[in-house]
Amino acid sequence: LNRGAAPRAALLALLATAWVVAAWLLWRSTVVPASVRLPHLDEHRYFSPSLLHQTATFGRFSVVSWVLSTVVELIALAVYARKGGRFARESAAGRLGTGMLLGMLGFALVWAVQLPFGVVDLWWQRRHHLTHTGYVTEIFGNWLALGGQFVFLCITLAIVMGLARKLPRLWWAAASPVFIGIALLFAFVNPYLLSTHRLHDPQLRAASLRLERIERVRHIPVVVEDVHDVTSLPNAEATGLGPSRRVVLWDTIVSEFTTREVTVVIAHELGHLAHNHIWKAIGWYALFAFPGTFLIARATRRRGGMASPQAVPLSLFILVALTIVAQPIQNAISRHMEAEADWAALQATRDPAGATALFRRFVPTTLDEPDPSTFEYVWLENHPTIMQRIAMAQAWRSRNAR
Amino acid sequence: MHVEHPVKLVVEDDLRRTRLTVFFRLILAIPLFIWLFLWSIAAFFAAIANWVGTLASGQPPEGLHRFLCKYVRFSAHVNAYLWLVANPYPGFVGEEGEYPIDIVLPAPTPQPRLTTFFRIFIALPALLLSTALGGAGGRFPASRGRRGTYSSSGGGALGLAVGVLGWFASLARGVMPKGLRDAGAYSVGYSAQALAYLLLITERYPNSDPTAMLEGVERPPVHPVHLVGDADDLRFSRVTVFFRLLLAIPHIVWLALWSVVAILAAILNWFATLFTGTPPAGLHRFLSRYVRYTLHVYAFLYLAANPFPGFVGEEGKYPLDLVLPGPTRQNRWKTGFRFFLAIPAWIVNSALGWGLAVAAFLTWFYALATGRAPWGLRNFSAYALRYAAQADAYVFLLTEAYPHASPLEGAASAPEPVPTPAPVPAPVDLPA
Repeated sequence: LNRGAAPRAALLALLATAWVVAAWLLWRSTVVPASVRLPHLDEHRYFSPSLLHQTATFGRFSVVSWVLSTVVELIALAVYARKGGRFARESAAGRLGTGMLLGMLGFALVWAVQLPFGVVDLWWQRRHHLTHTGYVTEIFGNWLALGGQFVFLCITLAIVMGLARKLPRLWWAAASPVFIGIALLFAFVNPYLLSTHRLHDPQLRAASLRLERIERVRHIPVVVEDVHDVTSLPNAEATGLGPSRRVVLWDTIVSEFTTREVTVVIAHELGHLAHNHIWKAIGWYALFAFPGTFLIARATRRRGGMASPQAVPLSLFILVALTIVAQPIQNAISRHMEAEADWAALQATRDPAGATALFRRFVPTTLDEPDPSTFEYVWLENHPTIMQRIAMAQAWRSRNAR
Repeated sequence: MHVEHPVKLVVEDDLRRTRLTVFFRLILAIPLFIWLFLWSIAAFFAAIANWVGTLASGQPPEGLHRFLCKYVRFSAHVNAYLWLVANPYPGFVGEEGEYPIDIVLPAPTPQPRLTTFFRIFIALPALLLSTALGGAGGRFPASRGRRGTYSSSGGGALGLAVGVLGWFASLARGVMPKGLRDAGAYSVGYSAQALAYLLLITERYPNSDPTAMLEGVERPPVHPVHLVGDADDLRFSRVTVFFRLLLAIPHIVWLALWSVVAILAAILNWFATLFTGTPPAGLHRFLSRYVRYTLHVYAFLYLAANPFPGFVGEEGKYPLDLVLPGPTRQNRWKTGFRFFLAIPAWIVNSALGWGLAVAAFLTWFYALATGRAPWGLRNFSAYALRYAAQADAYVFLLTEAYPHASPLEGAASAPEPVPTPAPVPAPVDLPA
């Protein structure tokens, strides 16, 4: 047996144990009362057969499109991982610059192969009146965002390749904290990048103040983002850290939903903030960043390690593959937190009927399947299903009726 | 790479200008405009007849060809006169050999029917560049039935810049600056080639290579800021061409950040040079890198060069590179008023920027299709980038030499002079 193998295995086991313990603690910090048992509900009692049929058709198409685009993306990146290194000769930018070029080309390739799927998805959503985005906007309108991704990618690669030069085997341990720091910065800055305005409805403003008090979160601005030009989908989010925290409601939800329903939405988003879900999400990100970067470091060793530009195409492939593999876990974590926010909203509003009405309205407005297949649930659902959310409202009612 | 074009520009101008006719140039040109407009209407119908005749017989009819040649020549004369590229008042018949800025046009030759049929579409890229340059101001009636006119140029940025700046310079000195004259002559020549191609006078596509266009024109003196690189390397990677704009984004961001520091450094450099007479070596080095990096980024972005550039403006690392002088003593007056003195250079620079953008747009399609840059457009882009670098170097006090607007490379590209041994100092008689 190799003399160094045993200590390495022991260290690995120790680190794995530490990871599992940290993950368990983090998971346990997000809770819906254990005594809550969700009743089994029949979706046909809540939705008409034609609506269920429509959501099933819509969902099937979306799943097929997602599967195909994911497979094509992986194939494209696999080919690029194998042959992308040859583009190094198109660079006069030295080691770091060449790495950036190869990284950007990989991203550009992903964008190019996914563009047809994006257009088809858009066609599908337009057909169902879920979006007003034009095809030209879809193709050319996201270039600025793509440019932003390129800049972020270049910064990331500069950090990774710079550290890999100094710490060829341990760069991942040094890079992960840097990425966590960047994630924290983004989480803090994100609210300031959104174009929003104040919530004008006096009833909703009063409700949000009341809910803040109940959920013990203070001075959280509830603002509105105008998106009705591009989509009719309803949405809201809790965003920011510390002083940048706020609840953002899409104007589609404010204008189309009742005050009672929007109140539940605000309570749900405040629930995210009250239970520190953004901090916990960054915690989960940190937990995945260390093993993720470690695996990339291991896999790229045969290409000279991440200090070499030749390793960049392979690293992109591994990064995307790991992200896809981790998606069910990330979805499960997200669903766990969303369930807690739903419970917090029910506790704060004490309005299960309002919550049920809200969740029911989501189905015709988003064409989300109330009870999707297991495959969809595992790979694509980052919220509890509509039926689970209605069941939770029922469970709350039963629990508080005793 | 240089193949002689059948539509040739002849420059016999001696740079001298009559102040009186310069002052009233625009008014004096009014009869020429009216005549050109009337001639354009006739030329429009002649061009249609010529197109039909060429399609039928495979060669432009002799009479129509002669008429259209005169029209092209006359429009070139008018523009040369208007933009002060030439001094004498031109004749009204487009006679060959009668004007110091002249166009030599070929005799009618057989032309392929396919390119003849689609000529108006094939000519669009050349007309686009011609419009940006603004040399030949042939006003051609619009073909859509509106009473508006299509100007093959006339309002082009380079021609306008040459005309405006040349007006002041000629009034002050009685002489047109050679750089501006060459730039104006180049735009007149290119636009004449584009018009000749459109009107089926030649089947050869316009060549935007400045060196080929101004063959026979005396080269300017060597400028201390000039380009070096492998002129024959035209290979382009299609993938990086396709995503060029996106790939350049990190450089654009980095350049913007660097620019903030460079402006502060330039202010410091200005004060230091004003007091000491010579730019401090450290600041000079930093600003030289900045100017070189700017050239690399723009060369990449505007498709004048292929590889992804580095981020530090290192010398000798990029195929299209910039030679910059070391710090030298500079006149304090010129240093003090450098910002104002640079304004004409900025005007020319922004005018060339239009042409550069058009050249990049056209090169993008060409390089995507062929994997190579077109020789002429690449050389035009190099000219525009060289001028921009010279203007930057002038503003940042890296050199005292004013940017030279001539599209021609300085005489440095000619064989290097053989170094002669240093003269032995003569003995000095010491006073007894």
